Amino acid sequence: MSHVGEQVEVGHVGSPGVGRFERVVLPHLSAGFTLAMYLTGNKADAEDAVQEAILRAVRYFSTLRDEDARAWFLTIVRRVCFTAYRTDRPQGTDMMSIDAAGPQLVDHRDQPDVAAERMQVQQRVRAAVDQLPPLLRETVVLRELQSCSYAEVAAVTEVPIGTVMSRLSRARARLAVLLNDVVDFGDVA
Amino acid sequence: MKERLDLGRAVREALPAYEASSSLQAWALEEARKFDLQSLPQPEPLSHPLRSRGWRLSHWPIAASLVIAVAAGWGAGVLWPGSRITSVTNATTSELVDAHVRSLLPGHLVDVESSDRHTVKPWFAGKTDIAPTVIDLSDKGFPLLGGRLDYVNGHTAAVLTYRRRGHTINLFIWRTSPDEPSDGSFAVRGYSLLHWSTAGLGLWAVSDAALSELEAFQRAYMQ
Repeated sequence: MSHVGEQVEVGHVGSPGVGRFERVVLPHLSAGFTLAMYLTGNKADAEDAVQEAILRAVRYFSTLRDEDARAWFLTIVRRVCFTAYRTDRPQGTDMMSIDAAGPQLVDHRDQPDVAAERMQVQQRVRAAVDQLPPLLRETVVLRELQSCSYAEVAAVTEVPIGTVMSRLSRARARLAVLLNDVVDFGDVA
Repeated sequence: MKERLDLGRAVREALPAYEASSSLQAWALEEARKFDLQSLPQPEPLSHPLRSRGWRLSHWPIAASLVIAVAAGWGAGVLWPGSRITSVTNATTSELVDAHVRSLLPGHLVDVESSDRHTVKPWFAGKTDIAPTVIDLSDKGFPLLGGRLDYVNGHTAAVLTYRRRGHTINLFIWRTSPDEPSDGSFAVRGYSLLHWSTAGLGLWAVSDAALSELEAFQRAYMQ
């Protein structure tokens, strides 16, 4: 009974309800897809997961209370990834190939050998992140790649902020070991 | 040579952010607009005379077409189908529509592609505990496209896919459970659903075609 009232209320948040889902949720489609790519490790599963997430988001749109639609949508994407797709596949299998990983940031003013070295470092970092356990990997991706606040990461991964911080520091420690020869992590290494 | 990098910078420089493909974006946009159209705020009561009047004016054509449609229905001696459509949003119908929409995405429609019932029917054997009737209804205007398995609201469903003048009809078939909804027709998010039970099986036809098409399909399939 209260659901009906809540739905109506939510429908009237902000100005007209027209185009609300489109305006509120769709801008985060690619953020959701990026998270799904890092969780499922392949494009087909990531697309399926995002499609499923959109269908669920439509169904549960009335549960979106505040304005943090990105965290809300990412939470749904993450749940789909963890329930419907295997995110715990053994390390190294069926992960993204380097070729599929998109353009690299290369500063063309660099000398060729410097650029090549940087590329090599980037490939090593990517491989190392792929090797992280899913819970650490998603925390790194959300925090560092998608620039979520600690509170957002905590909301999306459904753990307390303290857990987010400890996961980040564990991820950082693992990366420091894996990348010991190419990256100096300073305070950690 | 070691580079001094913090984790954030190393990750941002090394990891790509991905962009949803244009087909995924287009599909999501369509779903969003469909949903947003349905959740248009209800017209407010008379306290806002201008808006209220605007609404009434803008709805005149719809009201007029309803009157004409009802009149036409009476004239043709058929009942206005709207009276039998109950707008139900329970879990089963909602999940059926989700499954139907999902099936229309590229590569999701059929697992076994054949208009030959002797190919489709054996395909289900061993994959489900039911043996659905598989018939090609091309001669009645509903060519069989193939079959697939789906999972809907706790049911493993055998799905037969038919075509009707550019519309796709998915026929979901599962073993009926005690909480099976009673037979009837439903309208959910712009899709039509027709449900009937026979011989311990629950059948659900789902399509964006009109309900009358689904009823014609039901007659053809059950003959």
